[in-house]
Formats: sequence, structure tokens, C-alpha cells
Amino acid sequence: MNETAVRLSGVTKSFGTHTAVSDFDLEIPKGTILGLLGPNGSGKTTTIRMIMAILLPDAGSVELLGGSPDMSRRSRVGYLPEERGVYPKMKVIEQLVFLGELRGLARGDARQRAAEWLDRLGLGDWAAKKVQDLSKGMQQKVQFIGTILHDPDLLILDEPFSGLDPINQDVLESIVREESARGKTILFSTHLMEQAERLCERVCMISRSRKVIDGDLKELKRRERTGAVAVEFEGDPGWLDRAGVVERERAGDAWHIPPNRVRPDELLAAAVRDGVMLRRFEVLEPRLHEIFVRHAGEDAAGESTEPAMRPKGGAR
Amino acid sequence: MRQVWVVLRREYLERVKTKGFIFGTIAIPLLMIGLMAVNILIAVQVASSDRELALVDFTGRIGEEVAGRLGELGYDIELMGREASLDELDRQVIEDELEGYLVLDDLTLSEGVFSYRAKNSPGGTRVALFESAVNEIALDSYLATISTGEALRSLIEGGRLEFESVLEVEDQAEAEAARRSGIAFGFGGAMFLYITMLLYGAFVLRSVLDEKRNRVVEVVISSITPWRLLLGKVLGVGSMGLTQMGIWAACAGLLLLVAAPMIAPQIPGADLARLAEFVPGPGVLLLLTAFFLLGYFLYASLFAAVGAMCATEEEAGQAQFPIIMLLIVPFVLQSATLGGGSMKWMDWVALFPFFSPVMMFPRAVEGAVPWWMTGLSLVFMAAALVGTSWVAGRIYRVGILMQGKRPTLRELVRWVREA
Repeated sequence: MNETAVRLSGVTKSFGTHTAVSDFDLEIPKGTILGLLGPNGSGKTTTIRMIMAILLPDAGSVELLGGSPDMSRRSRVGYLPEERGVYPKMKVIEQLVFLGELRGLARGDARQRAAEWLDRLGLGDWAAKKVQDLSKGMQQKVQFIGTILHDPDLLILDEPFSGLDPINQDVLESIVREESARGKTILFSTHLMEQAERLCERVCMISRSRKVIDGDLKELKRRERTGAVAVEFEGDPGWLDRAGVVERERAGDAWHIPPNRVRPDELLAAAVRDGVMLRRFEVLEPRLHEIFVRHAGEDAAGESTEPAMRPKGGAR
Repeated sequence: MRQVWVVLRREYLERVKTKGFIFGTIAIPLLMIGLMAVNILIAVQVASSDRELALVDFTGRIGEEVAGRLGELGYDIELMGREASLDELDRQVIEDELEGYLVLDDLTLSEGVFSYRAKNSPGGTRVALFESAVNEIALDSYLATISTGEALRSLIEGGRLEFESVLEVEDQAEAEAARRSGIAFGFGGAMFLYITMLLYGAFVLRSVLDEKRNRVVEVVISSITPWRLLLGKVLGVGSMGLTQMGIWAACAGLLLLVAAPMIAPQIPGADLARLAEFVPGPGVLLLLTAFFLLGYFLYASLFAAVGAMCATEEEAGQAQFPIIMLLIVPFVLQSATLGGGSMKWMDWVALFPFFSPVMMFPRAVEGAVPWWMTGLSLVFMAAALVGTSWVAGRIYRVGILMQGKRPTLRELVRWVREA
């Protein structure tokens, strides 16, 4: 078996004069959680729709679960579109059974699984209600169940967390982690970098229809380190001047030192030399947003809804 | 195939369970039965008025005949001669012992004028019935007094067309009956086809449009090919239609077989034997089924394409206009030639597949076109169905996932080419 769940090579898609996705490459190894990140309108949904063969690329190729995205492969995918859609007049359980049967589950099996999932997501009492009688958030959970009901190998979730309250976001996150632990591959898109930071093993950042950067999240962060340091210590900060630090910033109990000509290891050596009582010494990892801005440019990030950057692990 | 079945079942159950379906299916026949019952009730009531009428005959010549005729019409008539006291009759009317009375005199014989004395003025039906009965008898009585009366009589009665078929027909009466019921079936069938195609076609459009507007189609389409989805949908709506028609047919059958023989004897002039003419034979039903199935699929595919390319109901309302015209035009043409038109070129118009259900079916049952023409129209319809479903399937494939404004004609052509 091929070890890649999704592979896009040189994929391009235009709508009229507007290029939605341009020369896009992406590889998702099996069993990973990949976050597709980017501001609104950057091409995330178009990319996902091409993976699902809802849109056909103008150029390039799409490979899904080791082959062309035909119906038999697509039926092994659980797809949650960005635009939430339900049959408003159907009963919750019947809607789920319908979706399950459509993907090849037997009727009884579909019913049983749907009931289990409804219980798990706290919707057990709503099974016999019409979908239109549910709140938006509940409808979204129903739709998520519809996505996962047939136990797909690959989950493709387009903005799965938007519109959910924090408690339900947590529930959804834990299910995603669990599915990942069971060996499933998960691709989800979000414009919330923090969410991705919590959940992803890999990220792919996209801006203005082009890929900015992608790769393993930990590795990416290591690679993108700038040498910024956070230190906490007892006593006088004079030693910092002696070590050659020009710029520094107080953040609670800690001092943040932006990258400068003093390397972190030299700074640590200076602290030891001066006999400083260190409580914390951390080479700061860049936050995803910083990485994004660094590669896509500040103006591109302006479209993002992310709040102003804050170094990770900052003083509390 | 299982997926088609799953879609079909959903579509069918979700429709059949709605209040609209239950109401439409049950209420329409009930309403019709109710209307018929009211009609029959009125007919029966008119025929058998409880209270008595009197007839005073001052002519001494036609009283008996008029009384007899009115008796046949169901009135309870007491005949009186010149000895009757009008004052006494007036008193009876005022005291409700008598509903009213008619007076015939010399003026009746010469001009057909007679009087009716009562508290309330008579209803329109009664006036017409009385006038025609009295007038006819007065005329007869006059004609009997002149030598050329007999000849005049037949001329006055005349104006009767006797149809004679040039074909060798064993029994003219039977042929005439067949022709009459042929026209009835033809008209009824055309009407039925027109309404069902319009109605169920609109259901298909709604179903496609709703799925598109709900955005649910994006989920569904990731697990089923558009073709199968469309097929399941059209079959589901069609099954719903067949269920509805089945229920209606059962009601009609019940009415004809059970209710009619019970009611018929109470209606003057009703002939139960003629009712049999209005029960269609298996040949007619088979033909109707063929035209219905082909016509329904033909129009359903068009309606589905319209549903797929629109985003709102208002848009769909406009966009379906050409299709509705396709249905209305043959209906208008057909109405113009109702009852066996003789314009031969119209038979060729009826071969146009979209016009065939409304125009060719009645021609076929009336025997107005040779059998091969009927066959040809069915073949044409089948061929057209292949074409429309190919085009509609492609428009559907692209359209259901498009949001935003309706495509122009040029864009539609592109969809069909590229899908």
C-alpha cells in the first residue's frame, strides 16, 4: 500500500479571471493530522473540493488514497463541507441512516452507529426530532456524525470548528485525536492558527491561492526559530547589558530578548559566568502566525483574523 | 443500484409523509365525491318536490297531457278542470297546503303563455322545464288541427345528424358508443397527462432546488454519482405520483362500481348501461401508462435541469417558463380540435415529442391516427428522453454545485460540453 493519503501535484484552478489555487503541491502521509491554514479566500475550500473531485483542476493531478479520486475511493472519505447542509425536514436519525446507507452501510448497522454517536455527542434525546428544530451547533454536530458514521479512512473537514462553542470544540478535537490514534488520516482547514497549533502534526499554509510553506509542525518550528529568548531570574538585570543585550522587554516576571547579535548559547554562558540565579531559560519557538507572516508578508496576514502575535510560553 | 434505491426511498417517504401529500391525495377525491353528491342531491330534490302542485285546465284539451309530462319529470300534479275555484286554490297556497298551481287557458293554446301562481317565484330549472313541456304540447295540439301538421311537425323536430360510417361496421350503435367514449378518454387522458406532468415535474424541480439551496447536495454528491442521484430522485417523485394516482383510481373505481348503481335509479334520465362506456379498457390504460411514463421522464429531466441551474425559487419560477410553454401550447392546440378535428397537419405536430402526451394520446384513443403514428410518437419520445437526460444530466452535474447567479445560455452550453 501507498503511504500517502492525498497527493496534489501542480494543481491549478481558476474561476473566470480569478485564480483560486495556483500550482499547488501537497502530500499528506497516512495517519497524520494535517491543518490547511490560511486567511479567508486563500483557496482552502477550492483545494478541498478538488481533492473530493467536486471541482476538477484546470491543470495538475489529484491522487486520493493511492489513485484517482473516483467514487469508490471517495466513499472511504468522510467529507464535511464548509457550507453546512442538512435536510431540514428529515428526522435526525433518518438523515444519518440515509447518509450511512448511501455510503454502503446496511440499514440496521447505520441506525445503530448513528444512535451511538448521537449519544456520545449528547444528542440522544434529539434523534427523533426534525433537523430544523435543532440549534445551529447541534445541526453541525449531526453533520459531523454523518461525516464519520461510515468509519472512513480519511477525514476531510472544512472549517469543522467554526460556529461551535468551546466545549463542543473540545469534544470535536478529542474525537479527531482519537480517530488519528486509530490510524485515520485527517485533513482539516481552519483560519484559526491557534487551533492548528494545538491539533496538527503537519501544517500547510496557503495565502492568495499559493502555498506558503508546509511540513511537520515541530520541525517547522525548530527550523523557523529566530533565536529569541525568554529568561526569568532572581536579582538585577544588569548582567544582560554586560552580555551585550541591547534590546529587551519586560513581560511579567520574565524578560523577552528578541534575536540580536548575542546567540542564545552565548547568553546562557554569560548568565552562568555572572552567577545569575536562573529560574527559566527558553529559546522561543515561533508561533504559526509569525511563521505565516514571515513567509507570506504582513499584508497577507492582515486578512487573517488572528490577534497580534505573542511569543509562545510568554510570562504569565 | 442500491444507492439509487436509497435515494428513491428517501425521496418517496419524505414526500408521502408530508401533510400536503395526505391532504392532496385524500382531500381532492373527497372534494369531488362531495361535489357529485351535492349535484345528485339537488337533482333528486328537484325531481321530487314534497308539496303538491295543481294544474287548472281551462282549455279542456291539453291538461291531461301536460299533467302527464310533468308527472314524468317527477312532479306531483293534481289535474283540475274548469270547475276549480281559484279562490279556494289561492287559500290553499297561502296556507301551505299547496305549493302553487298552473293555469292553462286559450292564450296557452294560441301563444304558449300560461301562469303559475305561488308564494315564491319558481327556480330557473323549473321555469325551463314547465315552459318547454307546455309549449311543446300546445304546439302539438295546434299542429293536429291543420292538414299539414304532420309535415311541419317533423321539420320542427328536425335538425338531427345521423352519423354513418363509410367503413364496414357490424353494429353502428356500438361504433357510435366507441367513438363517444374514445373522445371522452382522449380528452380525459390528455387533461390527466397535462396536469400530472406539470405537477410532478414541479415536484422534481423543487426537490433539486431544495437540495441545492440547503447545500446538502455537496455532502450527498461526494458519495453518489449525480446521475444516480437524479435517477433516484425522479423515480422517487414518480413513485409518489403513482401512489397518488393509485389511490385516486381506487376511489374512482369504488365510486363507479359501488356508489353509481345505488344512486343511478334515483336520478331521472340516468342510464346505468351507458356508464360502462366510461370505464376505460386495458388497451387505453396501457397506452396511457406508456405516454405517462415517457412524458413524465421527459419533463422531469427538463425540470431537474432548471432546478439545478437556479439558486432561488424566484429564479426557478422564471426559468421554468419555457418548459411550461412546451406543455401549454399542445394543450391549447388540442382544445381547439376537441372532438375529432379534421386538420391533418396537426397529426404531424403531435409527433413532436414534447407535444405527444397531450396531443397524440387523444388521437390514438379516438382512432384518429393510424397505429404506426402512435408507435412513431412513442419512439420519438424515447429518443428525445435519451437526449434530454443526457443534456439535463450534465447541466445537473455542474449546476447543483454552482452558487450565485443563473448561467447564461452560452455558459449552459459550456456546462453540457465540459461536464
